[in-house]
Amino acid sequence: MAVDARERLVEKIQRGFVVETIDDMTEEYLHALIQTLTITGDTELLSVPALLTVYKQAPTLNRKITALAIMQDELGHAHIAYILLQQLGVDVEELLYHRAAHRWKNPYAFDFGLDNFVELGAFNALYDRAGYTLLSDVGKNTSYGPWRRALVKVDKEELFHLRNGESILREAVRDPERRKEVENAFRWMFIMGLEFFGVSDQLKSRTTQLDLKLKGKTNDQLRQEWLSKVVPFCESIGIQVPAHFDEASQQYVLDFPFPCKFDVERREWRLNEPDTWDNVIRRFKARGPENEAFVARIQKGYHEYERLRRSS
Amino acid sequence: MTVETGRCWVALQDVMDPEFPISVVDMGLIRGIDVDADGVVKVTMTYTSVACACMQWLEADIRKCLQELDGVGSVAIDVVWDPPWSVDQMTDRGKEIFRSWGVAPA
Repeated sequence: MAVDARERLVEKIQRGFVVETIDDMTEEYLHALIQTLTITGDTELLSVPALLTVYKQAPTLNRKITALAIMQDELGHAHIAYILLQQLGVDVEELLYHRAAHRWKNPYAFDFGLDNFVELGAFNALYDRAGYTLLSDVGKNTSYGPWRRALVKVDKEELFHLRNGESILREAVRDPERRKEVENAFRWMFIMGLEFFGVSDQLKSRTTQLDLKLKGKTNDQLRQEWLSKVVPFCESIGIQVPAHFDEASQQYVLDFPFPCKFDVERREWRLNEPDTWDNVIRRFKARGPENEAFVARIQKGYHEYERLRRSS
Repeated sequence: MTVETGRCWVALQDVMDPEFPISVVDMGLIRGIDVDADGVVKVTMTYTSVACACMQWLEADIRKCLQELDGVGSVAIDVVWDPPWSVDQMTDRGKEIFRSWGVAPA
């Protein structure tokens, strides 16, 4: 019976059916949608504490206002995801303010503080580019109508963020000191960006997200799309990254074993030590150094004002 | 002279507003372009808000775009606030692009 319902929904969706309400969904669809929206909301929200670590180092007032405008956008995007979750029956207050830090679903890359303003540029250029790549795909392909409509605005704003990052980096590479900062930033942040797209297609047995059209492209296809923008951009500013376009296969190819081992303490990739995706997932689950502090920052105000709220 | 000005307007169609991928011309930010005999281009422009986060960014993009044109010497940008920007100053094409994104241009 359940199998029939799944098959019927998958077939309807593949023919272009747009899911609008819970009544249109199977349990599996609802579960996968909640999971995907939680990852999205958490990613948008947890970008802010990382960006906050260095925004005060903005070289000009205008750059600082832009950084703040971007954080405001990210909060707005998170809000969209959490409102959609609320409409699906999720207790968002519990999710936001009572969830343990290690259970948040933001990318591993967002569990790190940044060292300087150039890294904020790299954050926007690499991670917002990854977010843009992932969400444009959802915006074009998702079978969930309310989300697809909400993403029109999000898509434009993410483009603003990544262009801001590229603008910061283009300016930075003109100064020899700051060019070094760009090189250092890319040394650890480029591969973090690659990992955004998750395990390689060969290892992914389940295709629920694709069957139900929560997304349109596979992890590796999206990773290729990201590389096709990031690598030429790096070439245009004269920054080397371990990837190149291979004419024969018409694909971007990585010049190191991916995934590879990461030294968390030193924030360094060990490019000659291949790793397995199982180990990578284990590293993700163990969380990065600022996970607890960043989540605490998001939750702090809610608990501090609890008494005030109760007395009013 | 008119040809020069026309080329500048066309060129600025490629300079995008950082927050929305729509050109500064279609956004209605460019109020006028003058080119003098020495090839100095004077752009009179405004922003959608006095607290626009992207003023330096946009000015840098506009300068770069115009300086790449043959015969253009320096670029001077004069920012004016009167009358304030409103959606009425967007081109019809700009309004159409906004509508296609589900953003009401009025």
